[in-house]
Amino acid sequence: MKKYLLIIAILSSSLVYAQDDLLEELESETTEEKFEQPAFKAMKIGNLQSTKVAAKGDLYLYVSHRFGTLKDGVDTFFGLDNANTKIQFVYGVFDGVQLGISRESLRKTYAVSAKFKLMSQNDKFPFNVVGYTTANINSEVSTDRYPYLEFGDRVSYASQLLISRRINNKFSIEIAPTFVRQNLVYEPEQPHSQGALGIGGRMKVSKRMSINADYVYNFRRFDDTIYNNPLTIGLDIETGGHVFQLLFSNAQSTNEPGFISNAEGDWSDGDIFFGFNIVRVF
Amino acid sequence: MKNLILSMLLVCLCYSVHAQKYFTKTGTTDFKASVEAFEPVAATSKSTTAILNVQDGSIAALLFMKSFHFKVALMEEHFNENYMDSDKFPKGTFKGKVEGFNLSELSETAKEYTIKGTLNVRGINKDIETLAKIKMVNGAILLIADFSVTPQDFDIKIPKIVRKKIAERINIHIDYELVEKK
Repeated sequence: MKKYLLIIAILSSSLVYAQDDLLEELESETTEEKFEQPAFKAMKIGNLQSTKVAAKGDLYLYVSHRFGTLKDGVDTFFGLDNANTKIQFVYGVFDGVQLGISRESLRKTYAVSAKFKLMSQNDKFPFNVVGYTTANINSEVSTDRYPYLEFGDRVSYASQLLISRRINNKFSIEIAPTFVRQNLVYEPEQPHSQGALGIGGRMKVSKRMSINADYVYNFRRFDDTIYNNPLTIGLDIETGGHVFQLLFSNAQSTNEPGFISNAEGDWSDGDIFFGFNIVRVF
Repeated sequence: MKNLILSMLLVCLCYSVHAQKYFTKTGTTDFKASVEAFEPVAATSKSTTAILNVQDGSIAALLFMKSFHFKVALMEEHFNENYMDSDKFPKGTFKGKVEGFNLSELSETAKEYTIKGTLNVRGINKDIETLAKIKMVNGAILLIADFSVTPQDFDIKIPKIVRKKIAERINIHIDYELVEKK
């Protein structure tokens, strides 16, 4: 009797096999390729770099404006007369490696930067980890003011480790341990080497809009400095292929050494700057 | 003992009935939603899996949205994130039938057949009927077909600002080379 049961079992299983569904058969042949939503849509949260890196072969043109302080009121039409403009090209050289060059009008600064993806958030690893480093050249300072100025004094650097996590599809956070080196400081008591910690996040309010904020705490400021820690609050609007960022910040520079060391404005008395980043991808 | 042998024979018979199928893991699926004068909105997936039962002409195909590659990677990201919701609906499937299919009729000259079936994208079913060109070359079945769908068919919302840049009808082109599945 047992034998017959066995045979019936074999028979019925082979019958099921013969009748099976083609789609189910395909599904058993494939392994699912999962799409991971990115933590951030744009390369910057506001001022702080995000963990987004240009894909290989993509060329981005960024135009960033930071108008003058809103505090000036109608006199400069809320800062419109004193805009700081930055033009930047970013190119994805390899998978996960981008290089950038830029020029911003504030302190006539030229900058080069590199950003490289180290780890990506997925089922097995909980964070995106990205390295970022930039060198800036201040071409405005002159030997009239600093008679012993050498080329090296014009240079400042920033290096950051960017660690982000998409908590859910709406909410992402990032922390950014940072080292800044300024060969020329604008206040004599200010140490040249500074450690800082950036934090930032984004909250999607609709499919194509998010509210973003970032803040950087600089650990090496002297007591009476005129500069503050930068706080930036912005709105990302994704316009089908491009991301448009509107923001308010108490820093006018968009370069890391500039806004981490020398944020000139102060949120508490309305001394803030309005600005935007627009991007075109080729 | 006689019964056992009989049963064994039956089992063997069952296995031989087991359908003969042709299969691919590297089928090509292209779509174009471009509007002239604007940048191309087009992508290709080269890892579509498809299977054809040559006894009754039933056919199925499956692809992962993530396997669609665009010229601009950012467009690809937005395609997955905002239009297809690929984290929620990772795959698209098709299940249908090649009408009047007969393996012995196939030759190196393409013959037209009607394919009828159901396309499932973003969890929504849409009936499709189209003509396919099928031929047999070196033991492989080559299948080419074109059809079109609209974003509304699958409840894909196109924001106003890009509406002019995305075609009202999306043309899909498939190209499979199916080999016998052992």
